[in-house]
Amino acid sequence: MQKEAAIREPLILGHKSYHDITEDVCRPIEDKAPKMWYILFGIALVIGLYGVGCILYLLGTGVGVWGLNKTIGWAWDITNFVWWVGIGHAGTLISAVLLLFRQKWRMAINRSAEAMTIFAVFMAGLFPLIHMGRLWVGYWVMPIPNQFGSLWVNFNSPLLWDVFAISTYLSVGLVFWYIGLIPDFATIRDRAKKPVSKKMYTILAFGWSGRAKQWNRFELVSLVLAGLATPLVFSVHSIVSFDFATSVIPGWHTTIFPPYFVAGAVFSGFAMVQTLLLIMRKAMNLEAYIHTKHVEYMNIVIMVTGSIVGTAYITELFISWYSGVEYEAYAFINRATGPYWWSYAAMMTCNVVSPQLMWFRKLRRSLLFTFFISIVVNIGMWFERYVIIVTSIHRDYLPSSWSMHYPSPIDIGVYIGTIGLFFVFFLLFARFFPVLALNEVKSILKGSGQSYKESPDYYKTH
Amino acid sequence: MTNERKYWKGIEELQETESFQKSKAVEFPEQNNLESMLADEELNESSTGRRDFLKFLGFSVVAATVAACEAPVIKAVPYVMKPENVVPGMATWYASTYYDGSSYASVLVKTREGRPIFIKGNKDFGLSKGVVNAPIIASVLGLYDSERLQSPMKKDKQSKWSSVDNEIRKALAAAKSVALISNTIISPTLKSSIDALKSSISGTFQHIQYDPISYSAIRRANELNFGRSFIPTYDFSKAKTIVSFGADFLSTWLMPTVYSCQYGEKRNPDGKWMSKHFQFESVMSVTGSNADYRAMTKPSEEESVLRYILGRLNNSSTKPISKSLKSTADGAVKSLKETGKESLVVSGTNNTGIQQLVNEINNVLGANGTTIDIYNELNMFQSEEAKMLDFVDNMAKGQRPDVVLFYNSNPVYSLPNGADFAKELKKVKTSISLNSHADETSSLCTYMCPAHHSLESWSDYNAKTNHYALAQPMITPLHDTACSIESFMVWAGLALREGKSSTVAYHKIKETFSELSVGDFDLAVHNSCIELPPSTIEDSLAFNSVEIKKTPKYDKGLELITYQKTGIGDGKQANNPWLQEMPDPISKVTWDNYITMNPVEMSAAGYATTFDQENGLSMATISSNGVKFTLPVYPSPGQALGTVGIALGYGRGGNGEKIGKAAYQTKEYGGYILNKKGHPKSIGENAFKMLSAVSNEFNYSNSGKITKIDGEYIIAATQIHHTVMARQSIVRETTKSIYDAAKDKESYNPTHKLQTIDENGHHVEKPVGEFDLWDEHPVENIGHRWAMTIDLNACFGCGACLIACQAENNVPVVGKDEVRRGREMHWLRLDRYYASDEEATIGTRKDKDTFSFSKAELAAANPKVVHMPMMCQHCNHAPCETVCPVAATTHSNEGLNQMTYNRCIGTRYCANNCPYKVRRFNWFNYPSYKKFTEINPAQDDLGRMVLNPDVTVRTRGVMEKCSMCVQTIQAAKLKAKKENRALTDEDTSAVCGDSCPAGAITFGDWNDINSAVRKSSEDKRSYQALEEVGVKPNVWYKVKVRNEDNDLLAKLQGDKEEHHESNHKQH
Repeated sequence: MQKEAAIREPLILGHKSYHDITEDVCRPIEDKAPKMWYILFGIALVIGLYGVGCILYLLGTGVGVWGLNKTIGWAWDITNFVWWVGIGHAGTLISAVLLLFRQKWRMAINRSAEAMTIFAVFMAGLFPLIHMGRLWVGYWVMPIPNQFGSLWVNFNSPLLWDVFAISTYLSVGLVFWYIGLIPDFATIRDRAKKPVSKKMYTILAFGWSGRAKQWNRFELVSLVLAGLATPLVFSVHSIVSFDFATSVIPGWHTTIFPPYFVAGAVFSGFAMVQTLLLIMRKAMNLEAYIHTKHVEYMNIVIMVTGSIVGTAYITELFISWYSGVEYEAYAFINRATGPYWWSYAAMMTCNVVSPQLMWFRKLRRSLLFTFFISIVVNIGMWFERYVIIVTSIHRDYLPSSWSMHYPSPIDIGVYIGTIGLFFVFFLLFARFFPVLALNEVKSILKGSGQSYKESPDYYKTH
Repeated sequence: MTNERKYWKGIEELQETESFQKSKAVEFPEQNNLESMLADEELNESSTGRRDFLKFLGFSVVAATVAACEAPVIKAVPYVMKPENVVPGMATWYASTYYDGSSYASVLVKTREGRPIFIKGNKDFGLSKGVVNAPIIASVLGLYDSERLQSPMKKDKQSKWSSVDNEIRKALAAAKSVALISNTIISPTLKSSIDALKSSISGTFQHIQYDPISYSAIRRANELNFGRSFIPTYDFSKAKTIVSFGADFLSTWLMPTVYSCQYGEKRNPDGKWMSKHFQFESVMSVTGSNADYRAMTKPSEEESVLRYILGRLNNSSTKPISKSLKSTADGAVKSLKETGKESLVVSGTNNTGIQQLVNEINNVLGANGTTIDIYNELNMFQSEEAKMLDFVDNMAKGQRPDVVLFYNSNPVYSLPNGADFAKELKKVKTSISLNSHADETSSLCTYMCPAHHSLESWSDYNAKTNHYALAQPMITPLHDTACSIESFMVWAGLALREGKSSTVAYHKIKETFSELSVGDFDLAVHNSCIELPPSTIEDSLAFNSVEIKKTPKYDKGLELITYQKTGIGDGKQANNPWLQEMPDPISKVTWDNYITMNPVEMSAAGYATTFDQENGLSMATISSNGVKFTLPVYPSPGQALGTVGIALGYGRGGNGEKIGKAAYQTKEYGGYILNKKGHPKSIGENAFKMLSAVSNEFNYSNSGKITKIDGEYIIAATQIHHTVMARQSIVRETTKSIYDAAKDKESYNPTHKLQTIDENGHHVEKPVGEFDLWDEHPVENIGHRWAMTIDLNACFGCGACLIACQAENNVPVVGKDEVRRGREMHWLRLDRYYASDEEATIGTRKDKDTFSFSKAELAAANPKVVHMPMMCQHCNHAPCETVCPVAATTHSNEGLNQMTYNRCIGTRYCANNCPYKVRRFNWFNYPSYKKFTEINPAQDDLGRMVLNPDVTVRTRGVMEKCSMCVQTIQAAKLKAKKENRALTDEDTSAVCGDSCPAGAITFGDWNDINSAVRKSSEDKRSYQALEEVGVKPNVWYKVKVRNEDNDLLAKLQGDKEEHHESNHKQH
């Protein structure tokens, strides 16, 4: 049990007992789902299926159904990819990095943040697959022994590094998440009354019995995986940024990209966590576990990473002028004043200005404001990728090839569809999985629970 | 001891086991009895029962089905009897001659397994010295047009030659008057067969030669001035000063295949001298875009400028002309006075008065005899529009001939009063068309007797006085068509039909040839032509100055010019998808007809001056000659203020005629857009209707009125940004005087340098090529290294290379909707850049301090133009190669950047990372997706035959690009290897370079230090586009040198030289 100053705001509010925690987390799973869940799930499913339909049409007809052209080979597809990967950064950061830093407040949010990460990476992974001209030979990016002669992948290609980075990230993230889920599944299993669900949770719980030995191993594995996952948090988006940084296109060829992308990813990931959790705590009565303090912490992360991102934007602008490279300079003049000035303006406003409002304590502790900003940030981060990808290539070296990009209905359909699918997954998760790491949260009840902190003998027992 | 040694076959024998003993007794192993085996009860009860059987069956069926889910295999049919001269896989080239009524060229036709698939110029023989243009190269596709008439027709019904011939002969015999309307016929044999027909009938016979584009005024003016109606031979290679009044002689005027080569010869700044070219014109033409000085001139101003120049040359009094024209005209006069008889003045205006003025000027200069050969005349362009107009008038008056024949003539479309003519034509008793399609005229005729395609038939041509040429068939006629010579002979009763293997025309031509008695027929066929004895024209034609005839008058206000585009021309090949998709050299617009107007006027009048794939152009209604069209208005810098232009050759076949699949507008997802009558909607409007006839001569400009109307029209152009933004390492330009005066290349072609630190720690500048992040590809000095140089000074932007590349490399046609989305597939494109007001010349900032990017985006009102062919640069440090995850694009050890279609998974990363944006992605399955059914020849059983079997047809989802014609390189290497010798420059060629009329493209082995390309690449004018990116291309460009005075540029480039020198002194 860790000692914590009494003046620190407690992490668990109210007079929660260990049993209360179990009850609070398991109730939504055991009860009938509220009507609202069905409505939301229905909407998400319809949107998701529409997206699937768009993808099938795309695969059946050709990449030409998107609004791409000879000059702009990537637009919404890779924008969405980077956006989703970025979102998928928060979960691992929260669970791995914050675990290593012994940040107890993460316990309330890491489960759903990780779930969000995994689903976001699912969505992200979809785009590199469907953006390929010939998906059916997409497995050629795997360095597997083959009978096509001595054909091997090109290890020089950042796109190949992407394949490794994303698949590693996804598998480690998935394992980490699942390991954490095992004790909680066991709790649900033990409480389950219906035979089917009992059977299901029995399978999912991997025979967890809660013995000390198991807890010991659980902690060890968590630590090892956290150690593994931490560098991944930084590597994934660095590698994604290499797609652009290693190219020769003005606006892409930028050495600042790796840290800038990682900061941006954390920035957008936390924003997405905010969006989801602010709804979830309300809908699932988890206000006691996820409260203003958590939101404030996350807002500070958003503010810091947002400032890093803003600094990067301004550095880019400065370097484009300072470098004296004609094309580089024009690329940035064009971003700010060219035909896509509005996307640059949207990016600047959403990503640079809005997080600075978090300096005000009142604002960063306001849930409504946070919710609003979290959405603004994700809009801004989508525009950031759009600005980097589209406004750089739409006017590069030879003015004869300068072009414009207009999304087709399929572009929009696929993007909206992935948002639908994401929510389908997330709603299923909220319904059937413990959304809070209930067994872990119990470990801080005595250290940071309100009732314990308020109790007169708090200092004595500690 | 020896006897005790025991040999055994196995351990069983050694140990004498029981089973061994048993088997030893039986010599042969027991045969299993099949019957008893089948009857074995135990086997029946074995584990492979019914259920397993069904499982296996099911699996096999599924496996077979899955295995069958492959692309359908189209089988090639092997020869049963191999023709003697055909080696499968080897191309055979035949010499022939191309003539379609307006274009003429000596050509070589490539056939593969008996199929003609490519046309190129014949460099060894003929008038055109190996020059062909885009329409000629593209004409091979017309052979495989599935809408060509496939048999004789009576009304709309298919018929037989025997019955059609009988009926026609009867009609001819009964006719009191017969008329034949044809284009200019330059075939002596065809003429004699027409004469034979004429003498075989009892009624009157009238033969009217009528071309849609008429040059009759030149003939008439010469008749007045020299007493003889002729078109002389112009020699642009002898003209030190060229002054052209709207004559687009590089692209459409008279014989561009001859003139472009002559012109190109003398545009070399390193040659003995370089010609100076002045152009006075309204619509920016290909020729005008290459002029050293170009003045925007209204048609109504042409006469006054001509008179001004004439007056100045005569030192007589002149009437004042407008300021803007005066400076250019004065420049022209100065230059003309300097070069005297080595000058040439031409005009594209079809008016006797104007041509008389031109003759006067040429006479004052003394050009007759140097640049103009009046004794060697052109037999082409004998159009008699006066006769034709009379004929139509007479028909309206009721004087209709009983029989009308049409040969290669489509007056219903191309006459300004074509609609009236159509009405009268319907009333004619018997009308016969020999045209190849059921076009506007043919579809109204009683009989359609389609002629062979020119590649299927024998023909002979006498294009010039002293030149006789032959055309030979390349393939057995695909359809039940007939050679026109044969048809006329049959109708004259002098021959019988002989079907597909008919030799009537062959023998008749041989007869003509023997009458000429100029040598061996077979040799003439082999060379495609033969020189005739010198002309027999009386040896002195003296110039007489006569009163200038009436010149065209225009109303005050808007003047309208109808012009021909390089690709579509007069509309004969409006059904050719290659030509429709060929970006116009100036506007870069495909698949469309539009009104050109100067953007300065347009923005003042509220028209949209920019456009892209989603934002269209404004629409306007234009009326002239009593005709009204609604067309989009295209911003065309250089268009004379107060004038607009409309291209001819559009608006074909809106009445359900079958002129070809690709001649109509298509919908976004395939299928035709229908017009109000329910027929496929034609592309653009027929501007022939706007021609006026001034004293019975077609005048291609007219007064008009334009009104902006509401509505937007999406246009498909391959380029939507028109200036080079003063970027210096894309296009480089200088002037002749700077070039001649420069001590070294640093002034006009500076080396891009970067700073570095040498061993002693000093800052030094080194050429960017010496900086390298990567290891060099081992291409230098080992084996071959294929390279190319492109001379921007020679290239005049005609687009022949683009069409040649499309034909050679099976580049798909994608249609208007895809082009507008920026998805054209051309491997080679022609970038056209206009100068902006911010630039001293294209690519050089006027003033670095006041330079504005937004102003640099706008072209000047009358801009300088540069054409830049752009294709894969085959970089030695190719950015595309490093980023492909599956190594589908790699570097060959011969310096080529190779694309392996089979390996490509279609991430498009390579295209994004290409600084030149030359990679093309297969967005759809062009050979099968419904969107392209109407336009892509590869979707047509017949059209598919034009595909080059040496080049893969790419599937959906893969990237493609210029391969430097690797198939021809491989063939050349094999040939040299077989002959056991080293490769030379003559062996290798890329089709773009091969088809270039100006010889702008040099291709070869850069590692061969004696090769032309090596020398060219080391020339002081050579530079690499975007050299500072460090991708090390294998393509060099050469600085464009304008023969003009540009003081500002001289100062700017002079400064550079001084700076460079002072740098040298410092070190």
